[in-house]
Amino acid sequence: MSKDIQVSFTLNGKPVTYTVAPHTSLLRMLRNNYNYDVKCGCEEGDCGTCTVLVNGESMKSCITLAAQVEGANIVTTKGLTYGTDEIGHMIQRAFVECGSIQCGFCTPGMVMAAKEYIDDGGIADRKAIRKAISGNLCRCTGYVKIVDAIYRVAKDLGREVR
Amino acid sequence: MKNFAYREADSKDAILAALAELKDAYVIAGGTNVMLNILDKKVNDRTLVNLRNAKELRGIKDNGETITIGATTTISDLEHSELIAGEAKALWQAAVSFADPTTRHSATVGGNISNASPAADTATALMVLDAVVTIEKKGAKREVALTDFFKGVGKTVLAADEIVTAITFKKSHNCAFIKLGLRNAMAISVANVAVNLVKQGDVVKDIKIAMGSVAPTVRRCAEVEKALLGKKLEDAVIAEAVKGLDKDISPIDDIRATGKYRKQVAPVLVTRAIYAACGCKDGGAK
Repeated sequence: MSKDIQVSFTLNGKPVTYTVAPHTSLLRMLRNNYNYDVKCGCEEGDCGTCTVLVNGESMKSCITLAAQVEGANIVTTKGLTYGTDEIGHMIQRAFVECGSIQCGFCTPGMVMAAKEYIDDGGIADRKAIRKAISGNLCRCTGYVKIVDAIYRVAKDLGREVR
Repeated sequence: MKNFAYREADSKDAILAALAELKDAYVIAGGTNVMLNILDKKVNDRTLVNLRNAKELRGIKDNGETITIGATTTISDLEHSELIAGEAKALWQAAVSFADPTTRHSATVGGNISNASPAADTATALMVLDAVVTIEKKGAKREVALTDFFKGVGKTVLAADEIVTAITFKKSHNCAFIKLGLRNAMAISVANVAVNLVKQGDVVKDIKIAMGSVAPTVRRCAEVEKALLGKKLEDAVIAEAVKGLDKDISPIDDIRATGKYRKQVAPVLVTRAIYAACGCKDGGAK
């Protein structure tokens, strides 16, 4: 029987401490503590819907060990709400307006991948956008409208390719 | 019932001490393999030793003729390194075609090697760059050529109290890596190949070819290398030489492809990689 450990980190700007079994994934730690905005899809690192930002880098929370995020700064879609994160808000608005959401299951992961792409200075280039979201699976949209949304955000930020 | 303990080791000394002390140590860096092994119940009753915070194990160093990368250097670090892109293109090509951008933030070179998957993309590239693996345990250090490092599927020369701390390899401006996957992203190689070529005029002075996913370990293709050495690099010569792959590789059927298919594509991939390495024709490399 595993002995539980404590993991302290910043979640969407707030310090938190969770108690978990040592082998727990970041995904399970978050969801066990009512952070249901992080979705569990395949739970084997393929689908990308559980993607969160760990110190600004996208990571698949299902294949990240919870204990390893001690001291880290973690952002989930809840951290991208209106008024706290302008880019996150622009991305979400673009997803809605471009019809990028059908069943919605991939959306949290897609939004986080998009957020990383835009934060890293991503430009309005469809090929680069497709690469940026290549770790995220969507079975509804055929990706076109998701790419459209991220393209629009980059364009609105004046990052057009001439 | 899953039964694990956790040990934080934020320096190389702390890691080596933990490995010497613990009988049940199981090292975790990026976690992209380890977490799957835990979820699939392939491991249990172990102490997870975290390598991720040992900063001295992460980094890319230019030594002049060679490059040394720390074991916990991520695939993303390689992808964004101008040094790797310019001086070890095959490794850079392996990095940019590795899984997907998100997974590349976690996955480490040391992990990719130590996990000893026959499909490890960085291993194929590193093998043609004459990579030497630095292995350490408490109070001892040894170096093993990457060609001698793998012992079988998931098996390496590493003892229970040892870890890979660094990988050193030669620079090359005439190398290439090609991956055949079932998708453009998040694909595990159906087969992969790397070539490092030195020409003198039109003649092959030295050539190293490695393939992954076509044998129990990533391996060099000695027969093809031998057939090309000292020869003029022409289509007919290459076509004849790649017949040697029959002796070099022993692919099996698995969920990604049949052994028969792998035997058919291997000569094509090797041919493309040879051309890509010498910068002529489209090698199909990204």
